[in-house]
Amino acid sequence: MGLLKIKDLKCHYQTDICSVKAVDGISFDINEGEILGIVGESGSGKTTIALAIMKLLPENTTISGEVFYREHMISSLTETGMDKLRWKDIAIVFQNGLEVLNPVMKVGVQITEPMMKHLDISPDKACAKCADLFQTVNLDPKWMDSYPHQLSGGMRQRVLLAMALSCDPKLLIIDEVTSALDAFTRKEIRDLLVELQKKKGYTMLMISHDITFVSSVASKVAVMYSGKVVETGPVKDILLSPRHPYTRGLIHSTPDIFIYKDLWGIPGDVPTGVDFKGCPFSPRCTQKVKKCNEISPDLIPIPGGREIACHRGGIANLLKAKNLSYSYHLPDGQYLKAVDNVDLEVKEGEVLAIIGQTGSGKSTLAHILANVIRSDSGEVLFMDGNINKQNYGKNLNGIQIVFQDPFSSTSSRFTVLNAIKEPLDINKIGSKEDRLQMVKSALELVHLPAGDTFLSKFCGELSGGQRQRVAIARAMVMQPKLLIADEITSALDVSTSANVLRLLKSLQNRRGFAMIYISHNLYLTLKIADRIAVMDKGKIVETGNSHDVMSSPSNEYTKRLVNAKIPV
Amino acid sequence: MIIMAKDRNSLVFRLVITLFVILVINFFLPRMMPGDPFSTTSADEVGEEIIVMTEEQRLYYMEYYGLDKPVHEQFLIYLKNLMKCDLGKSIHYKMPVSNVIILHIPWTILIVLGSTLISTITGVILGTYSAQNRKRGSDRIMMTGMIAFAEVPSFLLGLILLLIFSVHLRLFPLAGAITPFAHYNGLAEQILDILYHAFLPVMTLSLAQLTGVYLLTRNTLITVTTKDYVRTARAKGLGEKTVWIRHALRNALLPVVTRVGFMIGIMMGGVVLVESVFSYPGIGVTLRSAVISRDYPLIQGILLVIAVSILVCNLLVDKIYSKLDPRVAV
Repeated sequence: MGLLKIKDLKCHYQTDICSVKAVDGISFDINEGEILGIVGESGSGKTTIALAIMKLLPENTTISGEVFYREHMISSLTETGMDKLRWKDIAIVFQNGLEVLNPVMKVGVQITEPMMKHLDISPDKACAKCADLFQTVNLDPKWMDSYPHQLSGGMRQRVLLAMALSCDPKLLIIDEVTSALDAFTRKEIRDLLVELQKKKGYTMLMISHDITFVSSVASKVAVMYSGKVVETGPVKDILLSPRHPYTRGLIHSTPDIFIYKDLWGIPGDVPTGVDFKGCPFSPRCTQKVKKCNEISPDLIPIPGGREIACHRGGIANLLKAKNLSYSYHLPDGQYLKAVDNVDLEVKEGEVLAIIGQTGSGKSTLAHILANVIRSDSGEVLFMDGNINKQNYGKNLNGIQIVFQDPFSSTSSRFTVLNAIKEPLDINKIGSKEDRLQMVKSALELVHLPAGDTFLSKFCGELSGGQRQRVAIARAMVMQPKLLIADEITSALDVSTSANVLRLLKSLQNRRGFAMIYISHNLYLTLKIADRIAVMDKGKIVETGNSHDVMSSPSNEYTKRLVNAKIPV
Repeated sequence: MIIMAKDRNSLVFRLVITLFVILVINFFLPRMMPGDPFSTTSADEVGEEIIVMTEEQRLYYMEYYGLDKPVHEQFLIYLKNLMKCDLGKSIHYKMPVSNVIILHIPWTILIVLGSTLISTITGVILGTYSAQNRKRGSDRIMMTGMIAFAEVPSFLLGLILLLIFSVHLRLFPLAGAITPFAHYNGLAEQILDILYHAFLPVMTLSLAQLTGVYLLTRNTLITVTTKDYVRTARAKGLGEKTVWIRHALRNALLPVVTRVGFMIGIMMGGVVLVESVFSYPGIGVTLRSAVISRDYPLIQGILLVIAVSILVCNLLVDKIYSKLDPRVAV
């Protein structure tokens, strides 16, 4: 039976200047004994939902839609009627803040107060129960006599938890409990919640931006963005294969999941809810189409008990390669299978690293994908078009490749301007002024000077790092949807390669293109890759989340690769 | 322990310094006024006798009261006497200053404390009512009225009340603190008579202070009700009454307590005018006549008593505040 049912809930805060759509059409059910997690960035409207359920929203909120608790329609209840439900049926663990607890009342009194009101018990009995609750949340009962300011953040959070449990509520709302806690306390609170749920079977609504925390307790999760649910489903599935670009961004920004990767947040900010047309995530989305700016997508069920709100049906495939094979004809008449029956997928906005030792066929594969050489068999589809039929390197928003050695990929006799402008010239893109402008902005992207002096320099005069950046600028000038970087740092010294790598990743993060990063250096790729494909003798032997591949390699070859680190 | 002892020392030290500064001002200020106790040239009140002394008489009295000595010597003598709890002798009343003060101060204490109590309680109640009905008509009307009312000076207010209730309606006495030559049948009757006389002065002082308390309560309450702990209290389903009184008001009253402490100090000054209007025999009226007759010892004594009572009030407020707000307790 559904304990809580929310139907098309909208909460708009009316200020003098505008109305802020904090919650904008949300529906979900929570069944008895179920734990639903709601995750999303700050400002996505999570707390507003909690307050709407408790009927605690400020007066300047216009609320539409319905919240049902059992048979009660929350909006039709009077304050007195609601007070009967509050704390006894629905209790909330507030986010820890300095003033969540009354500063001039002892914490014990604040906990016993609702018990005396709702459970109709004597002060002594309430006190005894309070001491028990303190024990439950691992807090010494002696702290009952202290004031909130005398407690540490973790202790206050426990007090808030004990307070919420005081009347044995049916539904427990947990709002951002971990935000101010250290790792130990966070884990303790998490274990406590799991234990409580097991013992007492609380139905819980967990609200947090901490996706790891929520997913370790909840069974189902809803991802919220700008007042809307963008994706729902079983926790495990969402965590392993997020379908909405926002969910993926959220997971990718979580240090607990990607331990080795550098942290890159989702660029841009949440639109502030003023009359915004279209999908709220579209300004930050890497795969938006025209429709995304016009109509807001609805939450549509997809297989696996999941739902997603995206016009493109979730993260789209950008590149799909099937059965690719390529053999080199050796002088002695034999064939060397450099690429052997390779299948590969690259999603929108994703960084896929292909790693393997020299001679494993990585570069050949890259060249096939960039349509530099043609495979013996199989096909490569880019945005559902065959790359052999339509050369995507020729157009803007296509595929571009940056090669390993900048000294041979850029001609020493070209000026910087000519080197970068070349693809535009060849493919006749834009007017002469346009091209110059595009070159200049590409140079700015790669942090090189865009002045005339630099433009008229010859590539031969540049250092290795500068020259590789010119090569990147030449790729960027075509504004690719997919950039293939083939060992771009191997010819550079450590410091320069670190700079180039960070530059490339920041470009990718900001511009949102997908990238295939090819390298033999596992540790370098871990810094930037979302997914890793390990290649050996022309075959892809293992693919997966970069952290999983690193920490628990399943393939023998991968294990050797991981263990090839020279201990310092 | 060491730190605590140090703190206490510094508090005592601060008090001593403050007291000394007050003593210096109290001593020198009256002496900076033109004239002296024996050269009064005009009568302030109608019917008062003007005694014009000869120069010889004047010098004689100056010597008698020790006013012919150099000022710094006089000051040292004053301090020395003060150590012995001797406030000196009033030139006008011809009796010890302490006796004069003890005679008059109860009346002042009565009306100051009475009006503090009344204005605080009324202000808090009205402020709470206003905050609960925020942005509704009753709140707007009340607030506008209160602010306009606050602009009326207390002595003018006293005059108006006196004219209406005593002169025209004859509901209250025109002057004094008790009915002269009255014989009371029991304590109750005496108390009633005292209250009857004190009513208008107390009302005047209360009304003058009311707006401050009202506005402070209202505005602090409005701020407090947006605080998270009030939301927490609501979420606990405690009922509006408990939420407002136990959680909101309790916190909102903290600044009001501070204000009331200062208010008593301000009123000690304001009481001079109000007592004059109602010819109420408190310390304010005494101070006024002491100033007119340049009765240096009495002026010093009264100012000292007022200053000390303000200091004591502030200390008390500090103590009470730390009882009410555990965050500032040591």
